Amino acid sequence: MSATNVDFEREFEELVRDLRALPTAAPQQVREHVRALGEPAQPRTLHDLLLLLSWRRSLLVLAPVCVLGLASAAVIHGIIHSGGNSKQTAAAGQLDTQVHRGAVEGSGTTTTPVLGQALPQPLAKPWSAVVPTPVPGRYQGYEASLTVRVKDVDTLHDRTAKATQLARSFGGYVASVDESTNGGGGQSDLVLRIPVARVEDAYFQLAKLGTVTAQHLSIKDLDQVVQSQRRRIVQLKVLIARIGETLKSSPLPADVRLRLALQRDAARQELARVTGSNKATLRQASLSRISLTLTSQQAAAVKKGGMSRIERAARDAGSFLAGAGAVALFVLIVVSPLIVLVLAWMLGTRAYRRREERRLLSAA
Amino acid sequence: MKAVNAVTTSWPGLRVDRPTFSAVAESELDAVHRYLLFLTGNRAVAEDLTGETFEKAFRVWRRFDPRRGTPRAWLCGIARTTALDHFRSEERRRRREEKYARDVPELEEPAFGPGDLESALARLSAAEREVVALRVLLELDGPTVARVLGISTTACSTRLSRALKRLEEMMRDVRD
Repeated sequence: MSATNVDFEREFEELVRDLRALPTAAPQQVREHVRALGEPAQPRTLHDLLLLLSWRRSLLVLAPVCVLGLASAAVIHGIIHSGGNSKQTAAAGQLDTQVHRGAVEGSGTTTTPVLGQALPQPLAKPWSAVVPTPVPGRYQGYEASLTVRVKDVDTLHDRTAKATQLARSFGGYVASVDESTNGGGGQSDLVLRIPVARVEDAYFQLAKLGTVTAQHLSIKDLDQVVQSQRRRIVQLKVLIARIGETLKSSPLPADVRLRLALQRDAARQELARVTGSNKATLRQASLSRISLTLTSQQAAAVKKGGMSRIERAARDAGSFLAGAGAVALFVLIVVSPLIVLVLAWMLGTRAYRRREERRLLSAA
Repeated sequence: MKAVNAVTTSWPGLRVDRPTFSAVAESELDAVHRYLLFLTGNRAVAEDLTGETFEKAFRVWRRFDPRRGTPRAWLCGIARTTALDHFRSEERRRRREEKYARDVPELEEPAFGPGDLESALARLSAAEREVVALRVLLELDGPTVARVLGISTTACSTRLSRALKRLEEMMRDVRD
């Protein structure tokens, strides 16, 4: 018995005894009526189960379950996204093969996605084994980029010089060189122009300069462009010749002569422009453009440093949780007015019900 | 409080041991009737409402969870809702009747009987009689009664104290 029970039982001892002595037992007919009800069947429905769960108890269970589920999802996400290098390399190989096929079929422009950022580790499959070769007899723009890791800064200087020599030995040239060193690391960015006919060999040699860590290839079919330029050139030449012939042979009024002369000048200008474009396209088709990035071992290590698999997993899991938090915050901001309204409605209903009960009890 | 000596049943899934309905009805019938008698102040009405309360309890017995409270407190909650519904319908009926037969006096059965205590009880409000019934006669503890009434524990003990004082004063006046 609680302290307050004891208090009122002591304070109002006689009154409590009298109250308990009042004849208040249920009459026999009520007892029989209740007995006649018997025992209810107990088919348990989902609604009954839900009613059994109080919101406090549900919250106590649901909140940790949600947190645990979110944390598990973040960990799984982190693990899955931190260990996919070999798959990505294989995907790179597949893409290269696709590029080759596209180029061979001569179906316009085909470009591989940039894989450099996604592939900090050495490629499992050397690119030279799958590098697409230009198709003889077709005009193709051939652009590629290659990131090669070398041991140290000294090797970096040496390999940069060797890349330059290689470009020359294959009949090409170095369009630009940008070499920089910082602390223990360094990087050389070279743009090499190599004749398309020898690009495969050049690529093979360039890949040997170190460990290939990233590659990118773009092949653009220029055959149709060259053909259309040539057709236009022929058309313009014919037009110019005809206008010249007309001006020479027939006596014409001054205004017609002037108009034809202007037409011939315009055709000549266009011919010069199309011829220039044609030369540029042919140059593009004859010389491939290779962007070579040589990076020293330490620079690569710095990039790789602090990014072990566990750390990558932790970073991914963290970003996943941050994303989930952002979504939750967004939902909370959007839903909060509704929550306030629902709370106000619930409090209002409760207050009304209490007042109604008080009124009914006072009137009873 | 008298313990419910009954066969227990187990719920698959929730693993709740519950007494049988018939055992609970047998042991709590008097308590529920007593409570309703105090709340309504009318013996006939209390009898009707007691039957109705147990019918309702019979229908929703599946939802009774012994972990949340005693069968007595659960039944008192149902009894209270039933009584409030009755008051509400009575109020509507009275309003209707007042509209058409203003001067007809209502015949009321004497509430508790002819004694002094019974007369004093009749002069208390329903809310006061209710808290006295639950705390003194049914011997439910303060927090349980507060939960049944939907008020705070402090408000509950204040209401009880005030009701008992009033009752005692009325009894003293009668004796003097």
